Amino acid sequence: MALYIVKRLGRALISLCLIIIVVFVLLRQMPVEGYFAAFDKMTPIQVENGLRKLGLLDPLPVQLINFFGQLVRGNLGISTRYRQNYPIMRIIAQKAPFSLRFGLIAVGVSIPIGLALGVLMARRKGGAWDRMGTVYIVFMQAVPSAIYYLFLQLYGTQALNISLLYNPDKWQTMILPVISLSMPSVAYFAMWMRRYTVDEANKEYIKLARVKGVPAMAVWFRHVFRNAVVPIVQLIPNSLLLTLAGSIYVESLYSIPGMGGLMVDVIKRQDNTMVQALVIIFAVLTIVGLLLGDMAMALVDPRISLTKKSEAR
Amino acid sequence: MFNEEFAARPADSTTPDVVLSIVDLHVKFRLRGQVLHAIRGISLDIVKHETLAIVGESGAGKSVLMKNLCGLLDPNGWVDSGGIMYEGMNLAAFKSEKDWSRIRGKHVAMVMQDPMTSLNPLKTIGWQIEEALKYNQQLRGSAARKRMLELLADVGIPDTDKRSRQYPHEFSGGMRQRVVIAIALACNPKILICDEPTTALDVTIQAQILKLIHDLKEKYGLTLIYITHDLGVVANVADRIAVMYAGDIVELGTCEEVFFDPRHPYTWALLSSLPQLGTKKQDLYAIQGTPPNLFQPIRGDAFAPRNPWALAIDFQHRPPYAAVSLTHRARTWLLDTRAPTVEPPSAVRSIRTLFDRGAFAGDSARR
Repeated sequence: MALYIVKRLGRALISLCLIIIVVFVLLRQMPVEGYFAAFDKMTPIQVENGLRKLGLLDPLPVQLINFFGQLVRGNLGISTRYRQNYPIMRIIAQKAPFSLRFGLIAVGVSIPIGLALGVLMARRKGGAWDRMGTVYIVFMQAVPSAIYYLFLQLYGTQALNISLLYNPDKWQTMILPVISLSMPSVAYFAMWMRRYTVDEANKEYIKLARVKGVPAMAVWFRHVFRNAVVPIVQLIPNSLLLTLAGSIYVESLYSIPGMGGLMVDVIKRQDNTMVQALVIIFAVLTIVGLLLGDMAMALVDPRISLTKKSEAR
Repeated sequence: MFNEEFAARPADSTTPDVVLSIVDLHVKFRLRGQVLHAIRGISLDIVKHETLAIVGESGAGKSVLMKNLCGLLDPNGWVDSGGIMYEGMNLAAFKSEKDWSRIRGKHVAMVMQDPMTSLNPLKTIGWQIEEALKYNQQLRGSAARKRMLELLADVGIPDTDKRSRQYPHEFSGGMRQRVVIAIALACNPKILICDEPTTALDVTIQAQILKLIHDLKEKYGLTLIYITHDLGVVANVADRIAVMYAGDIVELGTCEEVFFDPRHPYTWALLSSLPQLGTKKQDLYAIQGTPPNLFQPIRGDAFAPRNPWALAIDFQHRPPYAAVSLTHRARTWLLDTRAPTVEPPSAVRSIRTLFDRGAFAGDSARR
């Protein structure tokens, strides 16, 4: 197991380095105005001096090595346009906790609800739960989230008698953003859980379990449910990350100072260093998510032999 | 000789050792709004400690018939009429899982066709055997573990302690089927249904598994029911053979009677298509046509359209059972006193000589 994790980490590190190189090289092709807050008012000489100061006139490999050196020390560079001359790490350190808190709570809420809904749907195919669940899932997939987010904000805040916007000092104002973030996740988990549960319930070993005298409820919990959850486990880390990155709209609706809208913002403002830093951060998150998913999978499924392949006898 | 009452109460029902009695069973399925008549009035007694083989081509209803004995009928199927009498209970009237839980395991256990899919991939095989012990013999903890290891040894798995901690994917197909058999034995059943237990295995393993099942039958005093389409397997293991066609038993007799003195044209056709009976440089015999569509009502003998010996009456009226001996009956008009004498095909008549020459390999599995 330990060896597998080390190997898997090594591979993750290699992919990460490749991503960083590609992103770095591509962003160097961007117009240079992205490095200066007041480019329009600068003379060409000022621009050249500025670029030299930033080390951008060095040959590309040298720049790359310098950049990696900075990364190892935990330095993502400084913002040039978004917040002039402000370390990017500090910007993120202020914003990430909000997104993380909302993301974790939303995923924490949607997993049990989504799995329960999925199982209820699968228990009686075509039954009342199945139909209601299908309507819900189709609604979530088909209707643009803006519509129900807005409805929820308007009528939710009225019903709960709270302010429209998020207020860190009032926990009640967290309820509606969390519900908004959970709604699509619940549909996602329910959809996959239903599918995996139906798959497992129709397998031969379930018949054998029944015919060997295991009571129906025990068959459901110990065989069907247990085995249907396994592929779901792999989805969880990535779903968390998707909630983090995909919360743009919810965060702006409730004006939560999170990371959701940051990426779009800095691209619009052509803040090259910020774009670079954020792409790298999201790449890290995705790779870590996949890694965690694989490791969680390995923990719950004995068929994934991690170290060496043992022959069946 | 040909009265209907006799047909409904087969010859062997008077023997005291009948453990399970299927009486005029009709099973139907609803499929896409149509009704399929899968089992069309089967009566069959299962005798204690016997090995009964049910043979027939795919779709004949072999598996459906046996699923009725352990409540595994698909939700779109139902018993239309008839009964399955077992220890004073009518299994055909069972509806809920709770009813069936009294029968499954302790009374009827099953070995399924494909050992690659019939074990839970995420549980150790020891766990899966102990689960059966827990519900059927109330064994837990170290007592269950001890018995589980004994069972593994019984089905011929070496190194039981280590193997019991392994998962199904660490076993080969033959070994997995041994585990499935161990699970069935852990239920301590009276009747064991083996649904094509060797079909998914390669030929060298087949004989081993058949011998194992036979030995365990003696050791545990089981009543065995084999479902198979492989007459070669049947020849080696069965005491009695029931030949099924289109949801009906067309011939029932002891192994010797069905092989050496078959009476139903379908049994002739089935036997003629045995590869062991083929002659060199000639095409192997194949039954013409396809089985009847069970969505439509069957008129007369279901086999008549494919039967080269069919009489005019075969297309009009369903033949009754005719007794050939106390243990042998067939559902064909050819056994009627008014019917012309028809000789079975020559290939079928030569079976006995082939059998004596050992053409049916793997005879070691029997006794």
